[in-house]
Amino acid sequence: MAVQSSPCLETLFGDPYQPDNPVGHAAIMADDERRQLFAAGERLLDGWNANAEFVPRELGGRLESTDALVRRLRPVFRRDAALGVGYGVDSFMAASAVWLSDSEVARKRLAELLLAGGPGGGKVSGAHHELTIGPDLRQPALRAARHGPQIRLTGRQEVINNAGRAQAAVVVAGIGDSRSGGSHSLLLVQLAELPAGCLSRLPRWRTDGIRGCQIGGLSFDSCPVPEQAMIGMVGEGMPVARPSLPVSRCVAAGIGLGMVDGALFTVLRFAVARRLYGRCVGDFSHARAVLASAFTDLLIADCLVTAAARAVHLLPVNADVYSAATKYLVPLMLEEAVNNLAVVLGARCYLREGEHAVFGKHMRDLPALGIVLGGGLPSQLTVLRQLPGLMRALPESAEAPPELFDPSGPVPPWEPDQLGPTSPMGNPQPDPLLAALPAAVDTMRSEHGGEAGLGALAAELVVAMRELSRDAAGIPPGERGVLAGPASLALTDRYATLLAAAACIGVWTHHPGQLGPAGTAWLQAALSRLLHRIGRHPAPVPTELDDALYAELLRRAGERRGFGLSDELVSRTLPGAA
Amino acid sequence: MTAVPSPTSVGRWLTGKVASYLKVDPAEIDPSRPLAEYGLDSVYALTLCAEIEDDLGLVVEPTLAWDYPTVTALAGHLHGKLSDDEQAAS
Amino acid sequence: MPYPALAEVHRLEHHLGDPSDPQTVFSYRRCLALDDDEQFPAEICRQLEDFGLQHYYVPARHGGRLADYDTSIQLVRALARRDLTVAIGHSASYLGAVCVWVAGNAAQGLRLASIIGAGEPVAWALTEREHGSDLLAGEVRAIRTGIGYRLTGEKWLINNAIRSSTLCVLARTRDEGGPRGFSLFLVEKARVPAGGVRWLPKVPTHGIRGVDVSGFRLERVKVTSANMIGPEGSGLETVLKALQLTRTLCAALSVGGTDHALRLAMRVADRREVSGCCLLEAPWMATTLAECYADHLLAEAFCVVAGRAIQTLTPELSVIAAAIKYVLPVRAEAMIARLRRLLGPRVLLAGGPEGGMFGKVERDHRIVSLFDGNTLVNLTTLIGQFPLLVRAREAGRPPAAGLRTCCELSQNLPDGDLGRLSLVATRGCSLLLALPAAVEELTALRRSEPELDSVADAARRLDAAVGTLHRLMDQLPPARLDMPPVAFDLAGRLATAMAGAAALLLWLRNRDAAARRGSVTAALWCHGGWLHACLSRVLVALGDSSHIQRVPHDVLLHVLGRQVASGVAPSLFSSPQPDGELR
Repeated sequence: MAVQSSPCLETLFGDPYQPDNPVGHAAIMADDERRQLFAAGERLLDGWNANAEFVPRELGGRLESTDALVRRLRPVFRRDAALGVGYGVDSFMAASAVWLSDSEVARKRLAELLLAGGPGGGKVSGAHHELTIGPDLRQPALRAARHGPQIRLTGRQEVINNAGRAQAAVVVAGIGDSRSGGSHSLLLVQLAELPAGCLSRLPRWRTDGIRGCQIGGLSFDSCPVPEQAMIGMVGEGMPVARPSLPVSRCVAAGIGLGMVDGALFTVLRFAVARRLYGRCVGDFSHARAVLASAFTDLLIADCLVTAAARAVHLLPVNADVYSAATKYLVPLMLEEAVNNLAVVLGARCYLREGEHAVFGKHMRDLPALGIVLGGGLPSQLTVLRQLPGLMRALPESAEAPPELFDPSGPVPPWEPDQLGPTSPMGNPQPDPLLAALPAAVDTMRSEHGGEAGLGALAAELVVAMRELSRDAAGIPPGERGVLAGPASLALTDRYATLLAAAACIGVWTHHPGQLGPAGTAWLQAALSRLLHRIGRHPAPVPTELDDALYAELLRRAGERRGFGLSDELVSRTLPGAA
Repeated sequence: MTAVPSPTSVGRWLTGKVASYLKVDPAEIDPSRPLAEYGLDSVYALTLCAEIEDDLGLVVEPTLAWDYPTVTALAGHLHGKLSDDEQAAS
Repeated sequence: MPYPALAEVHRLEHHLGDPSDPQTVFSYRRCLALDDDEQFPAEICRQLEDFGLQHYYVPARHGGRLADYDTSIQLVRALARRDLTVAIGHSASYLGAVCVWVAGNAAQGLRLASIIGAGEPVAWALTEREHGSDLLAGEVRAIRTGIGYRLTGEKWLINNAIRSSTLCVLARTRDEGGPRGFSLFLVEKARVPAGGVRWLPKVPTHGIRGVDVSGFRLERVKVTSANMIGPEGSGLETVLKALQLTRTLCAALSVGGTDHALRLAMRVADRREVSGCCLLEAPWMATTLAECYADHLLAEAFCVVAGRAIQTLTPELSVIAAAIKYVLPVRAEAMIARLRRLLGPRVLLAGGPEGGMFGKVERDHRIVSLFDGNTLVNLTTLIGQFPLLVRAREAGRPPAAGLRTCCELSQNLPDGDLGRLSLVATRGCSLLLALPAAVEELTALRRSEPELDSVADAARRLDAAVGTLHRLMDQLPPARLDMPPVAFDLAGRLATAMAGAAALLLWLRNRDAAARRGSVTAALWCHGGWLHACLSRVLVALGDSSHIQRVPHDVLLHVLGRQVASGVAPSLFSSPQPDGELR
């Protein structure tokens, strides 16, 4: 199965803590210092023909599903987010709108370009579509005008990855009357084929974080592009690009999972080896609790990303909201988890040298990913717009399919026609993930009522869901957009948090094997933390749970397994382990 | 003025305090063993000074527990101070 | 509301000039460039020395200008507002000298005063590579010789290690170590024979990239007994007392950092448009900014009160310093991150909005929660004193007499007596002990000023929460070396509640003076507006969100807008006049 080949990338990268590993942390940090994309890593990925990961199978690539893409790239993000984004994920983001379009010519050309790859090649630039067509709607930075059979493109597209070396760009341009928003059109521009002089590649931006990424801009000066460059019809940019949003949001949220997996291992390494006050750091309950909490959060995030990414294929009509909730919540949770871990690591998290330096790099890169992937606010507004309808439709909803929670299971291909947001005026879509909560909770209470207090936590979730339903109904119509009040916007956090809880329960109920032996302890910790997050205050997580989760971390680290769902083999060892 | 308590009774009082801090039976406290070895946090041990002030009426430096690290040493010192105060008062 | 300690700040700002003018020595642009090159801001520090800032690190009794700590704190805040790298790099000399101020003799005081007065940096060398905050594990040895000691060993992650002329070194003087096993020594580099000190390379850091963070190795360096600070074995005690001063001073770094972050945020927000409307008009945006401002004012209030507590509540500083050193940096980190998310990730582009300064403030500020006693050290210090705090509350002890002067800004501070520093607050903490009476006072005021209704309710809730905290603290198992996570949680909440108590007391003691003036800040003080906003933020941290929607956010945002537009620091207090940034 495809998922099995991701250990292969782990094997190719090898143990990053080995100082002489040419694709290990030392080499990564050295290139980061030079503000250079990790060169040895790019060569390794070239050798692995990594661009095939970004091209759908039917076009000759290896891309099968959103979920699998996120999982298969995890070895890269464990080590270096800049490499992952700069080598190719941003190419995928730009290309995703083309894959989901019905423009066969453009799909083929783009696939050829990506698969041809080659050293330093096969890069596609594009502003993240959320930024060009998302709810934070701006006039397109680019204008297009018709000149007979040609389109002429003018304007500056700033802050895009690989602008200095991309062979193609997927851009949104306004055509026709500049005041009407409906003229957004999507174009695949072959940069290499443009006549000399009309395209300038703008100077690179320097960034705090993901320093290796070559973030720049493209300036078009009346660039002639052929009619076929247009994906879809004139003015159809938004409907054409929209189906790609759920895909790109899930991929963006999934990036952090590998980074936090790597950061968590670094702190575990420290806790096992470092002695303070006459004992190991890991001997202190507080340190164990912090590590256990970060592990809990990582698994929560993985459950949510998994469910949302699989919903792209299994529940396409819900994918817009699920992916938006995920893109908002997951980066936030992961940033908080890393901040908490930093407390255990102490001053070591601030150093750019030494064996723990990669932690500080992840901590710095995590927020910076938003520079190319967009922040959480557009996603929050996407959820907010649909929240009243969603909650109204809640009681009628069906149950979520168990396959939604199984990262190792197959999914059907995506259906672009069904992806994308429902109109706020149209019939609200049922929300199977959240709707399944009361029934799942009933089962938990009858079967596990006495088990580690799970029943009580689950019941509290249902109360929180009813309250959200009530509060969402009260959102005034004028507060469903950018002029929302703080209380309305806060409801999106509650929704995303409850969705995460539902995803956790779904995985635990249908595929407990994915969670390992401490699954039930984890679920209790997870639900506690999620309830806490939305202002409910369940009893503190008992120390025994922390210890059980810490033991599970040590077990996985000892067996060289990752800390996410489907605990795949990873190349790294704790000090003292053979 | 009440009579100065004997070194033994100061020791007993102190043993009781330490035992209640540690939530153990006073019989488990070895008066010749440094308090730090019972696993008491170093700042926490310094808070004994408040008990000494309240119960024995002696104003002492918190660092007393560092300078007299066992029950025996601390009791001896406190008894000495109590006797000095008594003499000064009479 | 005027605040006398700000008079010197005004003089300093005037000396330094407009930071947004690239021609100024201490300009934002230069600080960004130096950061990029990892260069120490030497020229900027020379300008600070021209002003005489170093004299504010030397107590008046040794001939310096450090008479009132709150003035020195506001000066460091003003540096931090421009650039945290400069503030941390320059004020490190105070850290290097502080043990002499606490426990040194007159000759040592005189010597160090002249070194610092001449603008020579001094470094405080406590930590070692393998032991971090565990000072009792320190391996640098001081072996007794005929006339003094011989020092050997390595210190690491030392601010100003290479640049300094003089080191203050903690070394083991007893083989078995222990709390009486360490002593402090002054080492003047010029007097060490060649080869005695070997410098370790500068350590690359994520923030404060220009600061000289490095280390050194001593090889049988001879010092005379005259260079030992205090008696042999007093090293740890002196260090722990000195840390109470430096940890209080660190509050200035956080407040200065959020001064800067708020200023940048307002400017970006003011310009940004979404869907055709100014972002500031979006209610969630306005409320978030107002809440961040409230967080900043809470920090400022606690910073002012804690700074004045050095001279007025000296024996309680062990609690106050630990609380403020924990709560301010951690809350400032959260607030800066919140602003970053509000403005969007592109504020992390160098050359983007405000030239990448926002990202620099965020990464520079991160050091504050890590050095000079990190989060865990401070919380542990508080947990260790839980029994004293519980005891004092149960006994119904009155607050110390110094509390009034501490909080009433028109009162002159008494001379500081560092001899009254104590490792633990034997009689509890006056800020907490004063809370019930303060709530009563506020409740009584409400009778003639009904607008105070909400803020009085918030104060009552704070008092109730503090009562609950003390009950939970009392139920904890004894504080052994390994404390349960719940103890850390309680300590964190207690520190937050102390910030709230400081704000309440500051408002009560100064509200008359503040409301009389017709300045920009008068609106903040009127009807307890800022206090209500701050208490609501404290309550949220304690799990009570009942006041979120009752706070006068519009008043706060209006004042913040005016302060940023006129180039003065976001503050409870009016500046003597605009600080020259925007003329």
